Amino acid sequence: MQVTKKTEFKGFEKAVNLKPEEVIQVVKKSGLKGRGGANFSTGLKWEFTRKSPNPTKVVICNADEGEPGTFKDKLILTENPSIVIEGIAIAAYAIGAKFAYIYLRAEYEYLKENLEKAIEEYKAELDKIELNIDIVMGAGAYICGDETAIMNSIQELRGEPHAKPPYPVESGLCNYPTTINNVATLANVPLIMLDEWDDLRLYSLSGNLDSPGVYEMPLGITTKELIEKGTPKEEIKALFFGCAGGCLPYDPEMKLDVESVNEKGAMLGSCTVIAIGKSQSIPKICKNIAEFFVHESCGKCTPCREGNFRVLEIINKIVENKADEDDLNALEDLAIFINKTSLCGLGQASNTHIKTALKYFREEFTK
Amino acid sequence: MLRGRHIFDKGASKLLISRLRNIQKKEGYLSEENLKGVSKETKIPITRVYEVATFYSFFNVKKKGKHVIRLCNSPACLVNGSENILDIFEKLLGIKLGQTTEDGNFTLETTSCIGCCDESPAALVDEKAHTNLNEDKIKEIIEKCK
Amino acid sequence: MSQIMINGVQFEAKEGETILELCKRNNVEIPHLCYHPDLEAQARCRICVVSVNGKLVTSCNTKVIDGMNIITENDEIIKARKLNMELLLANHDAKLEDNELGKVAKKLGVDKSRFDKIQDKTVDDSSAGIHHDNNKCILCGRCVQKCQTIQSVFAIGFENRGHYTEVNPYFNHGLGDVSCVLCGQCTNVCPSQALMEKDYTKEVTDAINDSDKVVIVQTAPSIRGTLGETQGMEPGSLVTGKMVAALRKLGFDKVLDTNFTADLTIVEEGNELIQRVKNKGVLPQITSCSPGWVKFIEHFYPELLPNLSSCKSPQQMFGTLLKTYYAKKNNIDPSKIVSVSIMPCIAKKYEMNRPEMKDSGFKDVDYSLTTRELGRMIKDAGIDFANLEDDKFDPIMGESTGAAAIFGATGGVMEAALRTAVDILEGKDLQEIEYTGVRGLKGIKEATVKVAGIDVSVAVAHGLGNARALMEMVKKYPSKYHFIEIMACPGGCVGGGGQPAPTNSEVVKKRSEALYAEDKGLTYRKSHKNPEIIQLYEEFLKEYGSHKAHELLHTKYTAMNELGD
Repeated sequence: MQVTKKTEFKGFEKAVNLKPEEVIQVVKKSGLKGRGGANFSTGLKWEFTRKSPNPTKVVICNADEGEPGTFKDKLILTENPSIVIEGIAIAAYAIGAKFAYIYLRAEYEYLKENLEKAIEEYKAELDKIELNIDIVMGAGAYICGDETAIMNSIQELRGEPHAKPPYPVESGLCNYPTTINNVATLANVPLIMLDEWDDLRLYSLSGNLDSPGVYEMPLGITTKELIEKGTPKEEIKALFFGCAGGCLPYDPEMKLDVESVNEKGAMLGSCTVIAIGKSQSIPKICKNIAEFFVHESCGKCTPCREGNFRVLEIINKIVENKADEDDLNALEDLAIFINKTSLCGLGQASNTHIKTALKYFREEFTK
Repeated sequence: MLRGRHIFDKGASKLLISRLRNIQKKEGYLSEENLKGVSKETKIPITRVYEVATFYSFFNVKKKGKHVIRLCNSPACLVNGSENILDIFEKLLGIKLGQTTEDGNFTLETTSCIGCCDESPAALVDEKAHTNLNEDKIKEIIEKCK
Repeated sequence: MSQIMINGVQFEAKEGETILELCKRNNVEIPHLCYHPDLEAQARCRICVVSVNGKLVTSCNTKVIDGMNIITENDEIIKARKLNMELLLANHDAKLEDNELGKVAKKLGVDKSRFDKIQDKTVDDSSAGIHHDNNKCILCGRCVQKCQTIQSVFAIGFENRGHYTEVNPYFNHGLGDVSCVLCGQCTNVCPSQALMEKDYTKEVTDAINDSDKVVIVQTAPSIRGTLGETQGMEPGSLVTGKMVAALRKLGFDKVLDTNFTADLTIVEEGNELIQRVKNKGVLPQITSCSPGWVKFIEHFYPELLPNLSSCKSPQQMFGTLLKTYYAKKNNIDPSKIVSVSIMPCIAKKYEMNRPEMKDSGFKDVDYSLTTRELGRMIKDAGIDFANLEDDKFDPIMGESTGAAAIFGATGGVMEAALRTAVDILEGKDLQEIEYTGVRGLKGIKEATVKVAGIDVSVAVAHGLGNARALMEMVKKYPSKYHFIEIMACPGGCVGGGGQPAPTNSEVVKKRSEALYAEDKGLTYRKSHKNPEIIQLYEEFLKEYGSHKAHELLHTKYTAMNELGD
């Protein structure tokens, strides 16, 4: 995989021989989009940050990989932490930041030591641009993958998100312009500088498969191409795109790209695919996902906090065959308005699975 | 590495979460006594310290067992038999989910996805990941922790 | 100036204005719950949603942008608000409460919830003055903001996350066990009465109905400027006469006025200040009539306790005199007196229970009711308050001055004290008695007054966050001030924890204006000129600061630590 290539800070060397604005243009032109799920142009994000009036800038590397079914960042952090450090250094140089933070989720604490070693190894290069990189540990909160929540957590508060605007690129950590980039996004940057990059995605593939794992492939491959790599254990009937991305029925010819998946009502996000075998119960999986969102909701806003709790109540009834027409109507209402009125991305995405499951697998809910 | 901390003005970063993690590791939980100590050192009001301590899943204000088993309950692990693994743990430890063994050695919990989806079912035991769990592996884990 | 379209009509917006602020200014109604003009808009309740470019956004924290096109009501918006309201109402009783939550629910046309009630959250009754039921909490966050950011007390915060979030003190302590000072600022903004005053209306009604008891009531200075709101009148309505009439209709045997002992506090405390200055006692002297403030200084600045005036609060001075002076003069057996006070204050419920408050030989004050409790009593009795004929207080503890009237506003005690102290020190009867420098809602106010050749330096703070800042100043510069007035509640007693909810700075301003208006209209405007006060000293206390005065009207304080233990 390209992200496991040992670039040994050669990409960084190339970057510092250009002007920071030129580095931004290179990344912009490459077309690199954020790998954390929002798919926003990385170069553009850096440009906004650099252009913000406040001279103090911050880079945050979002290593709070928490979307169930996702483990691509873990792979990069395990096998090639140096490339991530290099990516952070290039980002910092490009936007003019002297402070960087790696927010590492608590569940990945065993990866901290190797990250520290990598930072130590390239101390001289980091000193060259006066960059300080701190590793901040999370403590078990999926919500802290959200941009504003991650900043509140680094500021040692409860990891609650807050409204945007202001956007982090204008006012972020301690009100300084901040760029928050996913691990995989940053890992791509040195390759772009070295002109050794292909726009490939890391698909985290798991589920009822014999060969689950991370597969590096471009966007737009067919579902068949991906699932075949995973060697299904049984006939696959559905794909869940993590917990937040919803589900779709298995269609071998469907293209895996953002628009095609969106059209059908789901979200490709960070290319997480959980393949569900025919023998599995969709309502049971929805119950699992509803429990997840109840557990991980920060509790700040009414629809996500109260709404998801009631969604779980109804799904429990469905799984026990005690639900009626009113319950299903309430479930649909909740799914729509939790999405429309929640404060942050967690709440907004928390019922995609309900909407898509009811759309494509309704018979499993009403029998 | 404390250099970067001075981005926080007026000592706003008092390393609160790091302090809590260290106490959590050492004592196994965050007691009222310990948090009052943190409050005193950092001059952060005890109420704020408690707010942070109770927000995060990996902080516990109640005493837990010496070894905390966190079984991953993500959809990927679910469809690969994590419920069965839970049954085995409950049987071998003689406790139900959420409880601590009488000798205070083990607490059994579930946790959100730990990123071992390609080696499921998986669990974190004392923050070390154990993957591709089956009855034999579980027996081994329990033995090693005794 | 930006041009904004709301529901097809063009409006001009101010720089940095939010959608909600713009709409409020132009009388476009948007229902809302967690929004409060004095607090940071956190957009928690999600009731105030409006549609901008087809997307639902919360109007309380979305700033307007030039050219914005806003719709405040359509089918989608109504459905969204109703569903969020249903989610909040699930844990409340079917009978819609007479509080903000109930009022907004009514506006939205939601009177029940299809979701089941859950009652698994903490209920805390450990406090002397506050009843806390987390099952009613809608997690609007106003109370936490007030307690942490405005009052700097940090008695409560959020515990746990998600559905399991509750507002509580730390580590399962009750409010009564931590440094809660009972300022009640949480209760006068709680939209759902999850945090509310402990209700003693039943006990007081029972006492009134007990023919063996003589139930005597005293009314605090600010009540006459706020009680009207509980009966649907506009904020700032001065209802002194109606208040007395209503209390008589409720069956109180005698209706007396705390303003009388407010005047008494001034002459005693003014005398104390003069003595401290003469004898080089501890300065600055700090007022002690705000029991929330007294508890605050006991917890957080015990080293400054010697600075507190030894005078009791007007409520407590009244209670002591009621069961001694008044009882004797009116031939009433003090053991039969039930001493009730109507106060703007939650902390008074704690103050009257302090073990040292028994100088009369009995409990000086038996019940302290808030403005809100009295409001409920009047409503429950079916009294047509707005149409009551004005009535007067009973003698010999019913006469008061303009100086007493302004006690209820921040800076009022200071101004009242200056009116008396300056007269006494200069040996004159001055006509210029309005000290506007200490009036108004600025957090910390300072003034210098030339008295008998000395430059007397004074300061006034309201709200405990400001009090804390002022105490830090006092610690740093101990000789800066001579006299300081502190009120625990922002705005002073007109913004008290027991006042009609919701209380905010707009309403507080109007309430203060009523009190300053009353001051202007009274015959006597200086405490030492109050004829009943003069009579009290002639017949009973003899002179300011006398031995008897000290026995009955002065008190001691107890150092506590920050954590409340």
